[in-house]
Amino acid sequence: MNTCVNVARCHLLQRFSYLALPWAWLAFALAVDLAIFALIPIGHHGVLTAHGLVQVQNAGSGRDAGGLTAVVAVFFALGVQSVARSLPFALALGVSRRSYNTGTALLAVTLAAVYGLALTALQAVERATAGWGLAAHIFRVPYILDGPWYLTWLTTSVVLALLFAWGMWFGIVYRRWNLPGTLAFAAAQVTVLLAAALLITWAHAWAGTGHFFTALSAAGLTGLLAALAAALLAGGYVTIRRTTA
Amino acid sequence: MTPAISVTGLTRRYRGQLTLDRVSVDIEAGSVTGLLGRNGAGKTTLMRIIAGQEFASGGSVRVLGASPAENDRILRRMVFVREDQAYPDFKVGDALRAASWFYPGWSGELAGSLLADFALPRNRAIKKLSRGMRSALGIVIGLAARAEVTMLDEPYAGLDAVARQVFYDRLLADYAEHPRTVLLSTHQVDEAAGLLERVVVMDRGRIVLDAPADDLRGAATRVSGPVLAVEEFTAGHPVWDRRRMGSQETAVIAGPLGEADRAPARTGRLTLEPLSLQELVAHAAGPPAPYAQKKVGA
Repeated sequence: MNTCVNVARCHLLQRFSYLALPWAWLAFALAVDLAIFALIPIGHHGVLTAHGLVQVQNAGSGRDAGGLTAVVAVFFALGVQSVARSLPFALALGVSRRSYNTGTALLAVTLAAVYGLALTALQAVERATAGWGLAAHIFRVPYILDGPWYLTWLTTSVVLALLFAWGMWFGIVYRRWNLPGTLAFAAAQVTVLLAAALLITWAHAWAGTGHFFTALSAAGLTGLLAALAAALLAGGYVTIRRTTA
Repeated sequence: MTPAISVTGLTRRYRGQLTLDRVSVDIEAGSVTGLLGRNGAGKTTLMRIIAGQEFASGGSVRVLGASPAENDRILRRMVFVREDQAYPDFKVGDALRAASWFYPGWSGELAGSLLADFALPRNRAIKKLSRGMRSALGIVIGLAARAEVTMLDEPYAGLDAVARQVFYDRLLADYAEHPRTVLLSTHQVDEAAGLLERVVVMDRGRIVLDAPADDLRGAATRVSGPVLAVEEFTAGHPVWDRRRMGSQETAVIAGPLGEADRAPARTGRLTLEPLSLQELVAHAAGPPAPYAQKKVGA
């Protein structure tokens, strides 16, 4: 266990990547979103921004933007680099792959929980300032992030951990099979999704599938994502077992 | 004494090529062993498998009594720094701090004085270091860890002669105070000769020589002089190599020479000189030599 904690501490020595980068990137995205909102009078129609189409639902309920995806994307990137360059050094210091994987997963979950809490706090600020004074919905996402604070905390944490775990598995695959393997890995994921879509079509189950998701509460979806994150971590562990560095 | 590292019938196949071919070797605890051989002989692969970084195709490895593969209990007592060691996006000081967390015997004091010896700045980013400085960092980590089993693969690639001497001196000094099992691969055979208690030479995936370094000093002799005198002198000795230039001949004969053996050299105007470790290794690792299959003095 001690070794796992030390692996997590090792990662955190890269202070800039883990502690500054997510927030710097989020601050930039937030500034872009708010600048664009400041340019459009409330009540106007959608406009194309750096984050895609900014929709105006109606003047009363506010305007949504995708600034939040910035921090989520950084977590994916952190996951990738957590293995690619650090694993060989850890192995040199007599850390087993198992301890390395557990320690890195521990870091992912801890960072996700702390950053999820920070995002929850930002959501509270957004609510208190009527959307940063611009009716902006950046930390409030319809359906999934508009419940009570603890649910927001849980959901953001799970999503961040999920992206980190996904990136980690990519990093491990890259470490083990390089670029061809990574592309095959990505292709395999697309194939799985495609196969699922085909199966649903052949089974005429789209209505049922749609119903499943519409009936799913935000908490239920969070549970589903947590299960997916656990599956990604498990997949990464199976892959790292025989990775050489 | 139980060996610190025990390798039995180790084979590693990589894409149809045999990198390690039934390698068996025991490394005693508390010794400094040199793993020598030409590029591609399989030294790094052997060390990587011993360190649990690579997996064997066959055979077994035991370190400190157990298999090291994914075995935290064993691995945490080992350090293995490679010539081309990859580091995270760290500064020199970060790498040392990280290493210190994993080794109970870590000596910050030794690390600090080695940094000074190698003129390595703590706050320099590792990716900005020259090849030699990067090697120096590997040496600092490898020695300051004071791990029971310390493995260094080409630890001084790119280091200048002065820095290499620093490495030899510091390793010997620290080893004397804190004995451990050191396995070190190198091409600088004669430089390191004073350091090595045992020499293991590999060639094309096999161990071709495994002997105490002391036994190797004087294990072969170069005889040179007039052809007839050389022929007469070498008769009855196993000859590894014979070269003739005009009326002069140089031959390398195996086996230690006693005073009685040397006597004819004086009358025959022959020059006798012992082969250096480097030359012995070159013989052992070179193209097939008849003696190469035998263990000398083991």
